[in-house]
Amino acid sequence: MARKRSRKGKGGNIFGIVVTLAVVVLLVGIGYLLMSPSKTNTLGKPQHFSIRDYRNDGSRLAVPGNHYVLEGRIESIETIGNDRMIAISMKNNRNERLPLLVTKDTHLSVNLTRNDYFIFDVECRTGRDASGNEIKGILVVKNAESVK
Amino acid sequence: MRIQILTMVMSGLCYVAQAQMPIAPQPQQQPQSAPSQQTNQQQSPHAPQAQPAGATEPTNPQIFGVEIPLLDPATDTVTYNGGKFDVGNNAAVRAKFETFLHGTPDTTEEARMYVKKIEGILQETKKYTKSRKAIGSEALVRMGKALYQLSDMPRDGGQSGVLASSIVSALDAQRTNRSRDIESERLNEEIDAMVKRTNALVNRNTVGNRGPAAQIGAIKGPAHNGASGVSNTFTIAHNTKAIAEKQAAKVKNSTMNVESEMAAKVSYQSNMVTFLLMRRFDHAVIATRIYRHVFRDGDTKMKIEENSKANEILSGVAGVPPTVNTVDALASEARSSVDKHMDAVYSMLAQNKLGEATQHLIEAVAIGEHMHSVFTFPVEGRRRVAAYWTLRKRALTALNARDYGTVDEVARKMKEMDVDFDDSMLLSYSAGKKRQSDLCIRNARKALLEGKDDEFNRYITEAGTIWPLNPNLDASAQQLEKFDSNEKELGEFRTLYARGEYRTIFKEQDRFECVAVDPQLKPQYKEVILLISTIDAMLKQLESVADQDRVMGPCIAYEKLIEYRDSEPRCAEDPAFKDALNLYAQKAHDFVQALQDAEENESRREYGSALANYYRALCLYPKSTLAGQGAAKVREIIVKAQY
Repeated sequence: MARKRSRKGKGGNIFGIVVTLAVVVLLVGIGYLLMSPSKTNTLGKPQHFSIRDYRNDGSRLAVPGNHYVLEGRIESIETIGNDRMIAISMKNNRNERLPLLVTKDTHLSVNLTRNDYFIFDVECRTGRDASGNEIKGILVVKNAESVK
Repeated sequence: MRIQILTMVMSGLCYVAQAQMPIAPQPQQQPQSAPSQQTNQQQSPHAPQAQPAGATEPTNPQIFGVEIPLLDPATDTVTYNGGKFDVGNNAAVRAKFETFLHGTPDTTEEARMYVKKIEGILQETKKYTKSRKAIGSEALVRMGKALYQLSDMPRDGGQSGVLASSIVSALDAQRTNRSRDIESERLNEEIDAMVKRTNALVNRNTVGNRGPAAQIGAIKGPAHNGASGVSNTFTIAHNTKAIAEKQAAKVKNSTMNVESEMAAKVSYQSNMVTFLLMRRFDHAVIATRIYRHVFRDGDTKMKIEENSKANEILSGVAGVPPTVNTVDALASEARSSVDKHMDAVYSMLAQNKLGEATQHLIEAVAIGEHMHSVFTFPVEGRRRVAAYWTLRKRALTALNARDYGTVDEVARKMKEMDVDFDDSMLLSYSAGKKRQSDLCIRNARKALLEGKDDEFNRYITEAGTIWPLNPNLDASAQQLEKFDSNEKELGEFRTLYARGEYRTIFKEQDRFECVAVDPQLKPQYKEVILLISTIDAMLKQLESVADQDRVMGPCIAYEKLIEYRDSEPRCAEDPAFKDALNLYAQKAHDFVQALQDAEENESRREYGSALANYYRALCLYPKSTLAGQGAAKVREIIVKAQY
């Protein structure tokens, strides 16, 4: 009798463990979803990007795996070494300039030209200088498409 | 020529009066120690010399070199370098003129009667002058009586009595001479009679002795002629003596006549000249016209000593011996001249030309104060001329006292009174002296600031000498007193400077000017003045920029203020600077906020945000140096990092 009860009890424990694991996974999933910032996972669905917020605290956007889609006109391009710093004016805010870094490692399918409109896929990163100090909140261009 | 003669007479009058007192002081040598700046000062030409005696200031303004003032007593002017300035500097004439101006015209009935009688006598003498008819004794007696009556009148001053007495004296002398002549005639007749009788006695003696030998023997030998012969001889001797005595008496009478005649002439001519010198021209004319009727010998030569002043006056012009007619001519010319001057006075007053009127009146009074046309000059005209004369005296007094402020004021008033008055000489001379004095004061201040006491003393003394009443001298004196008691200011300046209260020092820079004497504080004082002056000038300029462009103007102003503050940190404590900075920070709020956010982001190493803020600032003010430099710096940092 004791063995039967024991079998019955073992089966119940397994069920409980499975349910618990399922709940944990569900909670982790919900938490992940809740913790992630506004973002898009596809190039064709840009999410809201506030320049004002960025000017106030850019590093807040630099969560791992973030990237943003920004559409704007290139107002200036400055080449420093092998990198380029471009300043774009957003479509909905011509009175602001947003600095974007195009590193030498970025291979773009389009040629960036001044006064032209592009859609940029950017990621907010935190770099480090030669001394190991943080360089926070830098928008690095991952990809770009020309706007026809 | 007549005018020259008249001038000589007037010179003689001045000599007689013994009262020449030139107002114009004697020229003195310009001191060689005068500062070089003064030699460059423009001075008024033809300026009247007017310096008090004994003053260190050169009395003769030297414009083109050493100039000697030339006094012309005839025109009562002083000449400088060809220009003339009327000074009326004959004290005797001036005193008489002022007495005349302040007197009242003698228009009493008695004065009119006096003039009428004098004119009557003149007309009567004129009648006899024109005709060859001699004035009879009755006419002379009548004139004498009339003159005696005139001498009792106040206007006459007893001169007519003197003339009448002269005439009477001359006539008495004439009468005495005539008595002597009669006596001489009688003596002559007696001599002739005695000569005849004597001759008869001599002839009788000759006939009694039958020949010259017996006559001789009768004289020599009493034995042959007896008592009769002796008696004739004594009678003849007595007659001869009597004849000799009568001859001597006749000669004596003749000599006394000559002496009496000469004495009478000298006395009469002396009175004539005296009348002329006393400007009693009417009496002089009457005396000269009567002269040839009193002394009928035709001798009109003046009996005056060759070396006398009167002879010099009367014969000095032409060099010919003076005669009675010379006196007549001078007196008549003077009378005519006075009347012409008085006509000119009335004419000039009618045209409101007080300067010319005064000049004519002073000459009329100087020449003929006793003339009818002069002493009846109306009181209204006298007052107008007196007012102008008083101003002219004030001008001279002010020039003597070197009170150039008063000189200007008087010149202005004189110009108001007489539109023809040439005030250029007074004003230009005054202006030149004022500038000269002010220049010395300026140099004194400069010397004081440089701590050169000797130079300061020299310049300030010179300024006071040139223009004693220069109002700037008072200011300099106050400044000097301030410098003498500047310890309080020195301490206060040090405190304010240490506190950085430069604006306070700047606001009271006049009070703190004394610190410039201190070699240690002088650079600080200059530094403060320069700093605040620069700030004020900059703020004024930025205000203009901000007003012109109300969008970017405040951004420009703010950025310039920040840049200046970085280069001159002391300005940050200046209230005006701070106010301006706050004002423009408020007006350019977005720009300033962007820059401040950028700097804050940089401090938090938020370089992306910092660059975005710099870009925003550049959008608001594209030429912003601060934003441009900040963006460049941040870009450099971003690019050099690894991502």
